[in-house]
Amino acid sequence: MDVHSPPSLSQADDRTIVGRAADGDVRAFEVLVRRYGPLMRAYATRVLGSNDETDDVVQESFITAWQQLSTLTDAGVVKSWLMRIVSRKSIDRIRARKQHVDIDDFEQEAPRAHGPERIAEAHSREAALSRALRAMPAQQRQCWVLKEIAEYSYDDIAAELDLPTSTVRGLLARARKNLMREMEEWR
Amino acid sequence: MSDEIALEGFEPADLDGHTIDELSDYLEAGCLPFDPSIESSPGCQIAMAALIRLRGVSLSLLETEAIDEPARDDSWVAGILNRIGFEAQAGRSIPVSHPSAQAFLTLTEGAVRGLIRAAGDSVTGVLIGRCRLQGDVTVPGEPITVLVDASVFWGESIPEAAARVREAIYAELLKHTELTIAAIDVVIHDVHLSRSLGEDAAEEIE
Repeated sequence: MDVHSPPSLSQADDRTIVGRAADGDVRAFEVLVRRYGPLMRAYATRVLGSNDETDDVVQESFITAWQQLSTLTDAGVVKSWLMRIVSRKSIDRIRARKQHVDIDDFEQEAPRAHGPERIAEAHSREAALSRALRAMPAQQRQCWVLKEIAEYSYDDIAAELDLPTSTVRGLLARARKNLMREMEEWR
Repeated sequence: MSDEIALEGFEPADLDGHTIDELSDYLEAGCLPFDPSIESSPGCQIAMAALIRLRGVSLSLLETEAIDEPARDDSWVAGILNRIGFEAQAGRSIPVSHPSAQAFLTLTEGAVRGLIRAAGDSVTGVLIGRCRLQGDVTVPGEPITVLVDASVFWGESIPEAAARVREAIYAELLKHTELTIAAIDVVIHDVHLSRSLGEDAAEEIE
């Protein structure tokens, strides 16, 4: 079509990328996958407590995103929109697990030998939090991640996890105490 | 883990009678309405600073992990791209006339949007975003307005770029479709800093 190379899509702003992807541009969607995929993977791993299912959950999230992208009216919020999708998909997995095993059994698994937290050792405060989160009971961790990272309200967490709001409050209070203790000790 | 763990320095006795959970809710409400008994309590201020630190680390932990994520090989990305259904964005069917009365040809709206994007992108320094075909494209001869969202790289004249985008799109639609174009509206929503394009593209993908 033209001799010059077009401006790089990978540098384009979210509005351009989301607009194109919503119109069916697969290359733009690929940019979105590369741009937000790592954050979504890190998030899903935190919610799920291990990275066994992370790849699947994030892939499913992007497939849903592709199907629903044209309903997203404000491209500026695409990041939080994607985080909501990956939250929901992660929680679906947790629900599916629940039917088979008591959820806390999952926490007995040995931590991953490699992966994000090994590299995070370099960031010691973050490493302390990472260890504390891994040591927490699953429900406490899920509540914490949904509240502090995905910015869900108490009621939204309660609805997502099928728990009374009062239970969510209690879990979060314990999570907060546990984490503060770990973090303050570390200081 | 017990509910009853005492947290040194953060118990009600240290917080002038307040609890950590109250302080957390207070912070979340943007410290409104203003509570003098919290604001004037050194213990509460220390605890709130710790809460803010914890929250900050929670957020940065995820960002750091995202940066440190081992780069996914292309097969992971390809796995997603192979599973998305292209028909989702096909849109309406646009009739194309044919000499034979028996033949019924159509172009999908998605294909036409693809043509518009390619035409707009061919203009130096321009990247097309979303585009819309306004009007009933399924009826031949119906006047259609094309709405295009675009961004322009810094240093390009915006009015000139918009005019060239309009020309390029018009020429392309004239060549490949039978649409009656009433207008092409170009909205420039962003100006980017221009970069050395080819290299950056390679860098980003790694």
